[in-house]
Amino acid sequence: MKMKKLASLALALALGVSLVACGGGNGAQSSVSSSGTGSQSGTGSQSGTGSQSQEPQEPAAPQLSGTMKVVATNETYVTLFDEFTADTGVKVELLSMSSGDVLSKLRAEGGTPSADLWFGGGIDAFMSAKADGLLEQVTFDAAADLADDFKDAEGYWYSKGLTIVGFLLNNTLMGELSLEAPATWDDLLDPSYKGEIIMSNPAISGTNYAVVNALLQTKEDGWSYFEALNENIAQYGRRGADPMTKVTADEFAIGITYLDGTIDALLDQYDVEIVYPSDGIPWIPDGVAVFKNAENVEAAKYFVEWLFSSDENLRLLAEIDQKTSVKIIKPNLEGIELGYDPAILMKEDLSLFGAQRAEILEKFEPLMGDKAVNE
Amino acid sequence: MSKAAGPDFPLRKRASHDALFPAVRQLADQLILLALLASICLFILYPMVCILWRSLQDGDGVSFAMYAHVWRKYRQSLYNSMLTATCTALLCTAFSVAAALLTATGKGWLRVLGMGLLLITMVSPPFVSSLAYIQLYGRRGWITYRVLGLSLDPYNCWGVILMQSLSFVPVNALFLMGMLTKMDQGSLLAARDLGARPKHILRDVVLPLIRPGILVCLLLSFVRSLADFGTPVIIGGRFSTIASDIYMQLMGFSDLEKASAMNMTLLLPSVAAFFLYRYLMVKTGSTSGERSQQRGLWLPLHRCGALGGILAGGGIFFFLVLVLQYICIFASGFIKRVKGVSVFTLDHLERLMRYNADTLVRSMVYALIVALAGTFFAMLFSYYVYRRKVRFGSFFDCLATLPYMLPGTCFGIGYILAFNHPPLKLTGTALIVIANMLFKQLPTTTKICTAALAQIPDAQEKAVRDLGGDKLTVIKDVILPGMRPAFLSCFAYNFSSSMTTSGAVLFLIDPGNQLAVFRLFDAVNKGEYSMAALIATFIILIVVVVEGLVYLLASRKEKAHVS
Repeated sequence: MKMKKLASLALALALGVSLVACGGGNGAQSSVSSSGTGSQSGTGSQSGTGSQSQEPQEPAAPQLSGTMKVVATNETYVTLFDEFTADTGVKVELLSMSSGDVLSKLRAEGGTPSADLWFGGGIDAFMSAKADGLLEQVTFDAAADLADDFKDAEGYWYSKGLTIVGFLLNNTLMGELSLEAPATWDDLLDPSYKGEIIMSNPAISGTNYAVVNALLQTKEDGWSYFEALNENIAQYGRRGADPMTKVTADEFAIGITYLDGTIDALLDQYDVEIVYPSDGIPWIPDGVAVFKNAENVEAAKYFVEWLFSSDENLRLLAEIDQKTSVKIIKPNLEGIELGYDPAILMKEDLSLFGAQRAEILEKFEPLMGDKAVNE
Repeated sequence: MSKAAGPDFPLRKRASHDALFPAVRQLADQLILLALLASICLFILYPMVCILWRSLQDGDGVSFAMYAHVWRKYRQSLYNSMLTATCTALLCTAFSVAAALLTATGKGWLRVLGMGLLLITMVSPPFVSSLAYIQLYGRRGWITYRVLGLSLDPYNCWGVILMQSLSFVPVNALFLMGMLTKMDQGSLLAARDLGARPKHILRDVVLPLIRPGILVCLLLSFVRSLADFGTPVIIGGRFSTIASDIYMQLMGFSDLEKASAMNMTLLLPSVAAFFLYRYLMVKTGSTSGERSQQRGLWLPLHRCGALGGILAGGGIFFFLVLVLQYICIFASGFIKRVKGVSVFTLDHLERLMRYNADTLVRSMVYALIVALAGTFFAMLFSYYVYRRKVRFGSFFDCLATLPYMLPGTCFGIGYILAFNHPPLKLTGTALIVIANMLFKQLPTTTKICTAALAQIPDAQEKAVRDLGGDKLTVIKDVILPGMRPAFLSCFAYNFSSSMTTSGAVLFLIDPGNQLAVFRLFDAVNKGEYSMAALIATFIILIVVVVEGLVYLLASRKEKAHVS
């Protein structure tokens, strides 16, 4: 009886040993297991091959192959990358991930990134990655058409649009609490708003970091402004979308949030209102970069060139992003009109965004603590 | 006995091993052991050392400067963590005892309902409970504002404590239920026949008998609370704990050195709690010796005086809150707002299917692999360490317990640090995710297996040896078949944990191997609450269906085997 049971043991052994073997030599395994799941992106490769010829300004595609791995801020970019696959034959695997997550991972990986392209996210994270030597330099002819203020002088990062910041008001709560709608940043200091304003922790949210940095740059005594504002702020959300979600959930009356097409869409769903502060709108570029030492650097580099060299691709991007700000990035872009007057944007020295980040956030941190404990 | 239990063990195939020399079999036995211990070192010790090493990096040398900095700057958070964990442990254990007693003493369908609710809510996808909490009890929450007319600020330490307490209850309550049903009913009935009133039986017989279980619940909840970052991040408001500060360091500053040092600091209270746990478990190890009975517990709670009333009330309150919370989660996935009015929609479902259908399938496949491989690993490991008492066994046992005490984010970062260079380059592969889940869950699965092992009499093993069987024969004919009950528990635990694990995978996921729980995290980050709720619903559904199938399969085999 017991003699017949060896096979079960053999299986056991095989399992146990395979665990060890898995730990042993896996240089090859990474490519095997990662290339298997590109189903969502490879669909359009036959239908779109002719579009290349209709794009005279588009450079000839180099010989590219394999899979390009992308970390992006949204999975809806899949349509844009499908176009890229159609034009080049490079499969794309997309993962939606916040830029803080990307940067931590990148640092832990110690120069062996597991993605090729970084698509979207506050430019402060890109500046930080450049400073750490984690990004690949990308240069191409059409880069000359891009406004100087919105690209890295050495080509380590580009930006695909601007994210602007304003207020989202909950009309129901504003009414119940008989509050006047704030029109400017200074209005937010009114004591009647105490405990009714929510913003995001600027360490987490690129857009709310832009608010802090831009107001510090433009206001004479920026820090006292934020100390006064802190009196009115209920909490600093630990996720970028917190102000939006908590205002729409009737939890707080005023949220300091990014403004784009998705926020406009909220007007149809909730009783909310958008305010573009009349004393200036802080903004932050939305970055694009290629990871240094990535497995498919060539494809990622070509993607950057492919995107910025073609107005058609940029229009598709603007449509997905629900933003018109790409017109500011590439002023000669046709077919897109800016949705707001660029004069309302605050004057920002972008170079300070990266340089001052650590210092500003360290000074800001005590403000965000528990009021009950600090008192 | 071994003959009776053997023939349908899942891994069994017919083969002849007459030809094998005893020496080869001896070698095989040693190889299994070596493989087990080597994997523990590679997948638990090595990543830990990497984290420790990183925390000691200081620009140009090795120093403890970061620890001094953490101690200076985060003392308040450390205090908050300890306070939260202590309160959570107490409150959660109270709820657990109440829920367990209420279910165990319930009659007929009430008992089944209670068990069902506990089993479903044991699958607790991260983050969404906290979101439901805000919807129900926020400043404009359905319950607090619309029903009770209150406008409470839930974003503080009490919100965190309450939420953690509730979400840790199901596991604890099921564990206590196990003890209650295994309890010697004789002493209860004897006490009754001797004229003891129910309230005295509760106070003097039942509660003392499950005291070791209560202590275990206290300590496990304490450790879990320390490591939980999701709850304070979502509903903490301005309140922060060390775990939520670690999250901020990783997500906001990408400061690995500081985050590592903070993790190591957090490890101290966890390790202390765990050694206390081990000490208590050794003292009370004999309680799991008896077979469980599927009968209800004779103890009318409503006749147990004030204590019984409080317990029954607490249990009912817990179940009510739990049911509301899960209804809220299930409903949110199918609701959208039009002009301020909530309407039914399939939009979220359609979007999920368009972008993430493969993600759901992949999650299920990974979880199945972890459930099978992990369970098998845990069975072998507990046999070698607890039964064979190999050299340095207790050292390896401590190692295997470490992952329980680490915040998941830390364990994940450790894996990236450890496996990002050849010859051990695993980053970007499915294997790193699977290994991480397996070893993160090993502490619990080995505990389950060890308990099952204790029920296999030594004599059986000796008999096989006396009849000429060697160590391998013992493993396959006595140990593995004897641990079949543990197989189900381990499988269920491994599967549901793999589907809902939150911390570690946040850093191990790459384009091309996204998991449902990561998409859930991303949805929560983007404020897509409906999507998050829908993914959570799917996760719960998948776990309940898969585990139900495995349970049915196992019980059918058992029946076939009995006949």
